Amino acid sequence: MMNLPAWLRGASRRRACAPRLVHRPSWAALAVALSLSGCASWSERGVTEPLHAQLSPHLADAATTLTLQRDEDAVRTATAQADALLQAPLDAEGAVRVALLLHRGLQVRLHALGVSEAERVQAVGWPNPRLSVSRLARGSERETEWSLGLELGHWLLRPWISDLEDRRLAAERQQVALAVLEHLTQVRQSYYQAVAAEHTLRTLTRWHDAADTGATLARRLEQAGNFSPVQRAREQVLAAEGQRQRIRARLAAQASRERLARDLGLGDRPEALRLPEQLPELPKQLPERPELERQALAERLDVAAARQQLERRARELGAGRLRGFVNGLELSAIRSTSNEAPTQTGWEVSFELPLFDWGGARAARAEVLYGQNMHLAAQIAQEARSQVREAEATWRGAWQIARQYQDELLPLAREVSRQNLLRYNGMLIGPLDLLADARNQMTTVTESIQAQRDFWLAQTVLDQALRGPVSPMSLNAANTSRSADAGANH
Amino acid sequence: MVSRRQLFHGAAVGAAVAATSVSRVALAALPEPVLQTKPDTLPPLYPSTGRPYQPVVTLNGWTLPWRMNQGVKEFHLVAEPVKRELAPGMVANLWGYNGQSPGPTFEVVEGDRVRIFVTNRLPEPHAVHWHGQRLPNGMDGVAGLTQPAIPVGKTYVYEFTARRPGTFMYHPHADEMVQMAMGLYGLWITHPKQPHPLISEVQRDFCFLLNAFDIEPGSATPKVMTMLDFNLWGWNSRVFPGIDSLNVRLGDRVRIRVGNLTMTNHPIHLHGHEFTVTGTDGGPVPMGARWPEVTTDVGVGQMRQIEFIADEPGDWAFHCHKSHHTMNAMGHNVPTLLGAQQEDVARRIQQHIPGYMLMGDKGMHDMTEMEMPLPDNTLPMMTGEGPFGGVGMGGMFSVLKVRKNQPHGDYRDPGWYEAPAGTRAYEWTGTAPATPRAATAPASATLQVRKPAGHSGH
Ligand SMILES: [Cu+2]
Repeated sequence: MMNLPAWLRGASRRRACAPRLVHRPSWAALAVALSLSGCASWSERGVTEPLHAQLSPHLADAATTLTLQRDEDAVRTATAQADALLQAPLDAEGAVRVALLLHRGLQVRLHALGVSEAERVQAVGWPNPRLSVSRLARGSERETEWSLGLELGHWLLRPWISDLEDRRLAAERQQVALAVLEHLTQVRQSYYQAVAAEHTLRTLTRWHDAADTGATLARRLEQAGNFSPVQRAREQVLAAEGQRQRIRARLAAQASRERLARDLGLGDRPEALRLPEQLPELPKQLPERPELERQALAERLDVAAARQQLERRARELGAGRLRGFVNGLELSAIRSTSNEAPTQTGWEVSFELPLFDWGGARAARAEVLYGQNMHLAAQIAQEARSQVREAEATWRGAWQIARQYQDELLPLAREVSRQNLLRYNGMLIGPLDLLADARNQMTTVTESIQAQRDFWLAQTVLDQALRGPVSPMSLNAANTSRSADAGANH
Repeated sequence: MVSRRQLFHGAAVGAAVAATSVSRVALAALPEPVLQTKPDTLPPLYPSTGRPYQPVVTLNGWTLPWRMNQGVKEFHLVAEPVKRELAPGMVANLWGYNGQSPGPTFEVVEGDRVRIFVTNRLPEPHAVHWHGQRLPNGMDGVAGLTQPAIPVGKTYVYEFTARRPGTFMYHPHADEMVQMAMGLYGLWITHPKQPHPLISEVQRDFCFLLNAFDIEPGSATPKVMTMLDFNLWGWNSRVFPGIDSLNVRLGDRVRIRVGNLTMTNHPIHLHGHEFTVTGTDGGPVPMGARWPEVTTDVGVGQMRQIEFIADEPGDWAFHCHKSHHTMNAMGHNVPTLLGAQQEDVARRIQQHIPGYMLMGDKGMHDMTEMEMPLPDNTLPMMTGEGPFGGVGMGGMFSVLKVRKNQPHGDYRDPGWYEAPAGTRAYEWTGTAPATPRAATAPASATLQVRKPAGHSGH
C-alpha cells in the first residue's frame, strides 16, 4: 500500500455472509477456496442484517425497524406497528420509526439491495458447466461431438470474485444506508418544520385576532363619535395585515405537514398524523464536543466508502497480474463420436496467451485508478471535516439565539406586557396600546419559535454531518413583520 | 464671637477642604445647616431672636432657622439631591435645599440684614436668585451675569438687607431649566417692621409654591426636558392626597400666599368664600385696586397673596381650576371610550391580556372606586378618600377646614366636617317630579320634518 493517512487505513468492514477470504491468495489457498462452497444462498437476513449493522451506530435500536417487507402481510404488520406509534402525538424519534416502517421509498431501496445480494450470491456460486453438442458431416461421415465445459477461469478466480462482489455489495449497502439516513434526517427536519409551523400558525392566528379586536374596537369608537375615520382605518389595516400573515402561516403549516406526511409514508392518510403543540425544549447547556471531526472521519459513510474503494483499488493492483494470465482459462472435457471412427474422448484446456497484452496497460490503469481514489478519499475527508465544523458552529449559534429568546427576549416581552397592563390600569395607555403590545409579544413568540426550530434543524444537520455529506444551513434573520406595529403606538 | 472677616476665611477653608462634598466638620465655621427629613407641615416658627413677627405656615414645608451674628441673620442653604415623597406611595428623586424640595421658607422682617451661605452639593454649578427682592446687583444671583456660578462643593455668601415687605421666592439662576425642573426653589417672606396700612394682621398665614413634574410612571426622576406636558401638578412638591389641609378657626382672617414656578398659569379657586388679592410679589395691592374673587389666576413667575375671613364652617375644596391639574399621572393620548359599546370587545381583549378590565366606557368615576395594581412608584390618576367615598382627585387639590372649635394657633387636622342635620345634599326618594323635558318635543318635530317616513326612538 502507498503511504496512506491514518484515517484511511482502517480495517475493512466485516462481510456478514462470506467465507473468510485470504487477501493474498496463493495457489494453495486457491485450492482450499475451491473446496469451500461459500455462502451461496440468498436470505432476507443476508440483506437486512448487514444493513442494520451499518445503520445501528447512527440509529441505535431503531435500525432494526427497517425490514424487507416482501408481501402484504409484512406491510400490514409494519402498518400496525406504525399505527401504535401514531396513537400519541409524535416525537422526532417516533417520526423516524414511523418512516422506517411506512416509507415506500425506503422499501424500494431495500429491495434494490436485495436484488444486489441475489446477484452476489449468483456471482460467487459455482458456475454451471457448459454442455455443447456438435454434429459434423463430412461426406457420409457423421461426427457428433459432446463436450462438457466448466469455466475454469471463474473457478480459479472465485476467491477474488467473491471478494470483489462482497466489496461491491458493501459499497452499495453503504449507499443505501446513506440514503436511509439522509431520508431520516429529512424526516426529522420535516418534523421540526411542521411542529414549528403549526405553533406559528396558532400564534399568528392570535395575532390576527388581537388586531381584529383592535379594529372592532376602533369601529365602535367611530360609531360612538370618538374616533375619526383615519384612526379607525389604521386599526383596520393592522387587522388586514394580520389576516394576510395568518393565511401565509396556514399555507406554510399545511405545506410542511404534507411534506412530513410524505416523508413518513403517510401520504395516503395525513390525518393519522398527530403532532405535539410545541417543539422539544432547548437543552440547558450544549456539551463540548472536541471529538466531532475525528468522529466524522471514523463514522461517516462517504468517508468509509471512499476508504473501502481505495482498499479495493489496492487489491486490484495486486490481482491484476495474475488475472492477466488466468483470465479466460477454460477446461473442457471432450467426447467426440463418429459413425466411422471410434469415439474420441479427451480434454481440452484453452487459455489466452499473454503474448501481446501482458496486463501492463491494465496494471497502469489500476495504478492511476488507485491514485484517483486516493485523491477522492482525501477530498471527501476534507469536506467532511469542514462540514462538521460548520455544522457545529451553526448548531451552537442557533442554540445561543434560541436561548436568548427564551432567557431574555420572551421574559422581557412578558415584563413589558405586565408593565403595560399596570399602565393601562392607571389610564396611562389605552386598550389599543395594550393590544399593540400583545401583538408585539406574539411577534416575539413567533420569532422565538423560529429560533427554536432553527436549533433543532441545526441539530439534524450536525447529526447528518457525522453520517454523510450535508449542505450547509444558514440561519436566516427573523422575517416576521414588526413594521406593522411600529407606528401603532399612538 | 466670630468676626465677619474670620467667618469668610472659615468658609473659604471649608470649601477648599471638601471640594466635592462639604462635610459637617468642614462647615463648622458656618451656621450648622438644618435639614428636614419629612414632608410634613411643620408648626410655625416663632422668632426667638431678632424683631418679632407673626410667622407663616408653609404647606408641607418649614421655615429655616437662623442664627443672629452681630445683628445679622445668618442662614445656611445647602443645595443637594433629595428624595421627596410626593404623596404616600410615590417618592421622587429631586434636587432641593436642606433635605427637601422645595427648600425651606425664609422668614425675615423688613429692614433685617441677612447673610445667606449657599453650599452647592449638586453635581453641577449653582446660583440662587432672590426673586422680587430689592438688593445690590451683585447679590441678584444670576450666574455669569452678576457673579460666577457657585462651583460644585463650594459655598458662596449672599448678603443684603430685606428692604421691602412682601412675599418672594428664591430659585436657581444657573442651568435653571434643569434645576427648577428638578425641584429647586423656595419661599421668602419679609414681614412688615410695623403695622402697614395695606398689610392686614391675620390669624392664619399659609404659603406654598406651585410646581410641576413630568415623571414617567414607574420611574422617580422628573424628565427635565418636558416643556408643557407634565403629569404631576404639585403644591410645594406634594400632590393630592399628599397635600395637607389648611386648618383654620371660624372667623379667622386667613392669608394664603401662592407663587407659581411652573410653566403655565394656574387659576386657584376657593370654595365657600370670596377672597381679595391683597398683594403680589410686587408688593401690597392698593385698596382701590382690590376686588372680590373666588378664583385668581397665578401667572408664571408670579406671586398672589389672597385674604378672606373664614366665616363659613366646613370642609371647603381649594384647588387649581384647570381640571387636568387636579389629576395625577394619566395618558394624554388615551382614546375616549365613552359611549362605545364594547363589553364583547373587552372579553376578546381579555383572551389576549388576562387581567384586562374594561374602564372608561361609562366615564371614569369608577376609577375612583377601583383598586387596581399600578406601576411602581406612581399615583392613581384619580384618588383620595373622603367621608362619603372616593374624591377622585389628584394634583393641585386640598381642603380648607373651617372649624368653630379649632384652637387659636393650632394647625392640626380636625378631621372631617360633620354638617348639621338638614344641611347636606340628600337623595330624593319620592316620586319623580313631572317636569317636561325641554329639548324633546322640538327635536323630534325637526326629525319628522326631515324624515317624513318617521323614525321613532331617536
Ligand atoms: Cu393648574
